[in-house]
Amino acid sequence: MIPFLSEHLLTALLALPTLGALIVLFLPRQWPNAIRNFSVGILCVEFLLSLLLIPEIAGWSLFGTLFEGFAIADYSSADYQFLVNVPWVESVGISYKLGIDGISLWLVLLTTLLTPIALYASWTSVTTKVKEYAIAFLLLQVGMLGAFVALDLFLFYVFWELMLVPMYLIIGIWGGKERVYAAVKFFLYTMVGSLLMLVAILYLVNSYKELTGFYTFDLERLHDVILPFDTQLLLFGAFGLAFAIKVPMFPFHTWLPDAHVQAPTGGSVILAAVMLKLGTYGILRFAIPLFPLASQYLGPNIALIGIIGILYGAYCAWVQKDVKKLVAYSSVSHMGFVALGMFSMTTHGVNGAILQMLNHGVSTGALFILVGVIYERRHTRDLDQFGGLAKVMPWYAVAFIIVSMSSIGLPGTNGFVGEFLIMSGAFVSTRLIGFGQWSTIFTVVAALGVILAAVYMLHAILKMFWGPITHKENENLKDMTSREWIAIAPLMVLIFVTGLWPNLFLHKSQPAVEALISDFSDKWAESDNNDSLHLWHPDQHAPEAETVEGAEEAEPAENEPAAAAPNDPEPDARTALLVSPTRTR
Amino acid sequence: MSFWLYVAPLLLLVFSGLFIMMVDAFAKERAELGMVTAVSLAAAGGISLALLMRDGGMTALPPEIGNFIAVDKMALFFDVVICLGGALSALLAGGYLNEHGHDRGEFYVLIIFSAFGAMILARSVDMLSLFLGLETMSLAVYCMVAFRRTSKRAVEGAMKYFLLGSFAAAILLFGAALLYAATGHTDFVGIAASIDSGAADTRLVLFGMLMVIVGLAFKVSAVPFHMWTPDAYESAVTPATTFMSVAVKSAAFAVFVRVMMVCFGSEATMNDTAGWPPLLAGIAVLSMIYGNIAALAQQNIKRMLAYSSIAHAGYILVGLVAAFRVEELGISSVLYYLLAYTVSNVLAFGSLIYFGSKGKESVHYADLRGAGRRHPAAALPFIIGILSLMGFPPTAGFFGKYYVFNAAVQAGDQYIWLAVIGVLASAVGAYYYLRVLVCLFMESPEEGQATATPMKSGYVTTALALSGAAVMAWGLMPNWVLDYAIAAARF
Repeated sequence: MIPFLSEHLLTALLALPTLGALIVLFLPRQWPNAIRNFSVGILCVEFLLSLLLIPEIAGWSLFGTLFEGFAIADYSSADYQFLVNVPWVESVGISYKLGIDGISLWLVLLTTLLTPIALYASWTSVTTKVKEYAIAFLLLQVGMLGAFVALDLFLFYVFWELMLVPMYLIIGIWGGKERVYAAVKFFLYTMVGSLLMLVAILYLVNSYKELTGFYTFDLERLHDVILPFDTQLLLFGAFGLAFAIKVPMFPFHTWLPDAHVQAPTGGSVILAAVMLKLGTYGILRFAIPLFPLASQYLGPNIALIGIIGILYGAYCAWVQKDVKKLVAYSSVSHMGFVALGMFSMTTHGVNGAILQMLNHGVSTGALFILVGVIYERRHTRDLDQFGGLAKVMPWYAVAFIIVSMSSIGLPGTNGFVGEFLIMSGAFVSTRLIGFGQWSTIFTVVAALGVILAAVYMLHAILKMFWGPITHKENENLKDMTSREWIAIAPLMVLIFVTGLWPNLFLHKSQPAVEALISDFSDKWAESDNNDSLHLWHPDQHAPEAETVEGAEEAEPAENEPAAAAPNDPEPDARTALLVSPTRTR
Repeated sequence: MSFWLYVAPLLLLVFSGLFIMMVDAFAKERAELGMVTAVSLAAAGGISLALLMRDGGMTALPPEIGNFIAVDKMALFFDVVICLGGALSALLAGGYLNEHGHDRGEFYVLIIFSAFGAMILARSVDMLSLFLGLETMSLAVYCMVAFRRTSKRAVEGAMKYFLLGSFAAAILLFGAALLYAATGHTDFVGIAASIDSGAADTRLVLFGMLMVIVGLAFKVSAVPFHMWTPDAYESAVTPATTFMSVAVKSAAFAVFVRVMMVCFGSEATMNDTAGWPPLLAGIAVLSMIYGNIAALAQQNIKRMLAYSSIAHAGYILVGLVAAFRVEELGISSVLYYLLAYTVSNVLAFGSLIYFGSKGKESVHYADLRGAGRRHPAAALPFIIGILSLMGFPPTAGFFGKYYVFNAAVQAGDQYIWLAVIGVLASAVGAYYYLRVLVCLFMESPEEGQATATPMKSGYVTTALALSGAAVMAWGLMPNWVLDYAIAAARF
């Protein structure tokens, strides 16, 4: 059981919510509470299961003694852990390949943590069609997790699109007044971007085929395709558009406020906390490594757009009257930081960007839950309708202010660490070549965003909590209930844990980030004297290893070196590992 | 193996058609005929499927018929597609005609004979058998469109279809005559050989080819020969629309592929700058763009699906254009797409039938308002079908679209733009497909308007369950059918 689980952990993570959705399908709709309990229960089990992905934190082994024989994932190497590789559509080279590394590890955990919280937080706000709501949530999680762990471009695309439908339904069925407009806009924006990405994927696979004579959608293999510069620009554009829409980067952000304002609380939490991360994750995992020259060339411009996004988002947040819209625009601002960090291409910057993704997930998720709390009581989110809430709901005020501070980036909270790392990375970045000496100045401009964040958040806090109570309706509001505390407590704990001990998190992602950057630099250095379509490690792309029949025949021979050197950094040894089912024994 | 086995599906259909005609005169309960029709079509398809799955060579037919119809895996593949579409349409008819009081046995006979014509068409290797197959198939379909004979709209739609269809057939025949004049042959291989050798007059050949293309483009409803499509689709009884959109379209595409690749496969008629590839590329682009944009404005779902079928014809043509460069990939993408499109379209039309009960058909978006909220289980096939038509993973429609665009990308740099236009057009398409979901789940019926309730019919449910399972299975495990499509992509 244990070895089986350790080999198929990622598959189990995808299968559990799917199974849960199937079971919910057959629960009678007259039992809304049973459905709620069951689906939150499934998601909690899922979270516990996903904890198995981290074998130890700070030297303290979580499961070593409990689960003897469990494969210990080793994030100190940049290799993918918990690899699964099963051919899916052999004739066109599509496989079911999953794996996790330091970059995706925390995002997966963020997803498994926030989905139950989001569902639990919208416990009472969703009263109609509870069954369908639960099913949508469970399937949404499958899509998101799948996109984070897929290492096959086709599979990634499938999951990427798959999560659209549940979210579309969540916004469109359980949303506010303009829900249909917002849902359709959300769907179409995302779809336009991702369809062009599909063409780009096809082109990439075709180039690989031209070089080696066989098809594959395997990300690790496609990494080694070096395309000519012009082609890279086009393909990077197609990938980048898909991801930029999802992030959302500055000119493509217009779907976000609509979607957030109309979505029910649970939907907003997932949308902000997890789905936006898929955009930045996609850039980091796919766009940058696959098209290093183009991302080098365009990176500074994108970082600049990120900075514009930081300031623009902050400015828009400042003038909002609707609290939820304010938080939505603050997302645009925060995600600008992530873009800046990623394209600084320094260890600090990228690592900070990954941490900032988590921070944003935690803080903004918590903010949306808190906005939902007041909306449930007052059925408005208009700042002018509030005032003096601290007198009637003191504990709510405490929670809101703590979370706001983390969103602003107060030292001691998580937001500070992420933004600090990003800015220190961008400050010294030599990769932002287009910036030249300007990289310093731009970083300073980005830092203004932190100040603006303080301005708009404090402005909101002022309007909501201080001053006299101006509206009669506000006099008898109930403070936070225990259910709301349970939903928000883990997030508040995380805010401080990340703020005080960021290394717990950074430590795990560091090796993967370093490998990413060194790979990127090597390719960039090599490109000076070779701008044709070629392979990075031409000797490692023998078609014999690719065809599954060949791999199975060659298995006994390859098995031995695989077992002898499990952490061999050579990719060919890695491929041998992939096809060997006895890898972990 | 005896060659009779290869004509067995055809003979089976002829005899079961005659049998049903006879039974119809005596039968009281005509819905049962739907089952008989579906079973005989399934049996014919089953024989072809068994032959397709069997390894080893084919037995040549005796020249008397072998000169006119081919024996190859592609023909067998299309037998399966056509019989599948026909059988599912017959099942839908079994529920629909009964419910709406159009219960007459001719319908089933027409389906069978039309499927027979379609199968002849799909395997014809000679202009003569092509024309015969085309007319056999079309005449039956004209009658099916006019099946609701008391309705003015139905007669109008059928009349339009018939007149335009006759013109198109005449143009095609004229083209065949020109080709005969130029080459002295009516069989595809002979025409190709003559063009190859340079003996044929190029101008006559090109004119002949153009006219043949016009005739075929009409049948697959590609822009600018699509005018009949919305009217015919709207006015026909829905099972007839289903049959037209799946079996007829597949057969027309089958012969389209065969004519283009075999008959006009030589350098003079097939190259990057002249001949049919650029022409069909243009038609494909027009169809994708026009079909998707025109579908946006529709209020009637049957009309919307008609325009969407125009757009789908465009996507399939992309595969055909790509076949000129990457033959096997291009043709197999066309085959896979048609198979996926068949089951997806049956789901969409079948769900439309399913949501219409006696005296009240659901054809407009407005009719469906809130129906999905009230009957979520009944709306499930609709969701799957719509997502598959939209090209959304993990459905068969998605894989089909992926595979077609893949062929375009592989065909070389100058054909990538076909894929780019295709994906952008299908993003436009997402909007009107989503509207179905919006109506089903996100809107409520107006005051005093009753929510559409699903009909009770085992036939319709069976058809929906089968095609729903197929859409999901072929989307999740495309290789189950893809390998056959690849094997069938040879002549």
